[in-house]
Amino acid sequence: MSNSSMQVTKSPRKVPVAAVVALGLVFVFGLFVVGFDQGHIFSMAFGEQAFEDMYIHELTHDLRHAAGFPCH
Amino acid sequence: MALKTAMFIAVVLVAGATAGTIHGLANLVLVEPYLDGAIMIENQALFASGQEEDTPEFWAEYESYRIWQKEGQVLASAMLGTSMGALFGIVYVLSRDALPKGHDLKKASVLAAIMWFSVYLVPFLKYPANPPTVGDGETVVLRAVLYLSFIAITGFGAVGFYQVYRRVAKNRKFVAFAGYAALVAVAFALMPPNPDEVAIQTELLDGFRVMSAVGVTIFWTALAIILGALWQKLRPDSEAKLQH
Ligand SMILES: [Zn+2]
Repeated sequence: MSNSSMQVTKSPRKVPVAAVVALGLVFVFGLFVVGFDQGHIFSMAFGEQAFEDMYIHELTHDLRHAAGFPCH
Repeated sequence: MALKTAMFIAVVLVAGATAGTIHGLANLVLVEPYLDGAIMIENQALFASGQEEDTPEFWAEYESYRIWQKEGQVLASAMLGTSMGALFGIVYVLSRDALPKGHDLKKASVLAAIMWFSVYLVPFLKYPANPPTVGDGETVVLRAVLYLSFIAITGFGAVGFYQVYRRVAKNRKFVAFAGYAALVAVAFALMPPNPDEVAIQTELLDGFRVMSAVGVTIFWTALAIILGALWQKLRPDSEAKLQH
């Protein structure tokens, strides 16, 4: 990259901080939903029953095993 | 700038979701037969203990539930792919200048190989994937903490020893690799093992683990190819060029 004759500036390229923060949130939220939720997220809307139903756990269950997340 | 930022996010999310979907579809063929096999053992245990009855109604409900779970598996793979793709995109944009010069396909492949090794393969060797029936529900939180802690050690360890690699003289680069190997060895020795007892036939267990690892490896390969190709084509980081 630094060899390119098109590159005039020597200052390091600006990394879009807002984009990095947004992607960081996608990473953390997505990983929690897919890999670790045991009813936590739906409990915000449906209360204790969500921990019984574990809808997200059941839906993502096969991938949890396939991708190596701890499960049953 | 705004356009390029949106382009950067779009490239990362599209690459992650697409690679994740490929992973999910591959799992249908590779891993699901083993999951079905393990769950069948659970069904037999339910019949034996009298918790369920071996009736056509049971099997009809079971079949439709498993179809729903397999569709969920593909959806979840797309979501996990988006999530891991986001992490990959962050590391890529921060490390791109330090990656080998040339085509973005090459840069993305090198980074994907490093991340596959440090946040997947090494943790997998310590805490390998298990099919259903192996895990104890009581220990799932402990196992999650152990697994994530180990990934944090091997992942951040790779970042740390990369800094060492950059700073030492050319003929001293091996110090960084030796240091990382030592860190991994210590973590392997000190971290407690998976507390659950594995009590299923090894054929099912080994087959499942191999296919699980093949699936995840397909994901990282697809992610590198798609993100690298999109980056090369769309240049979401080229504002410096445009300004000058
Ligand atoms: Zn499970």
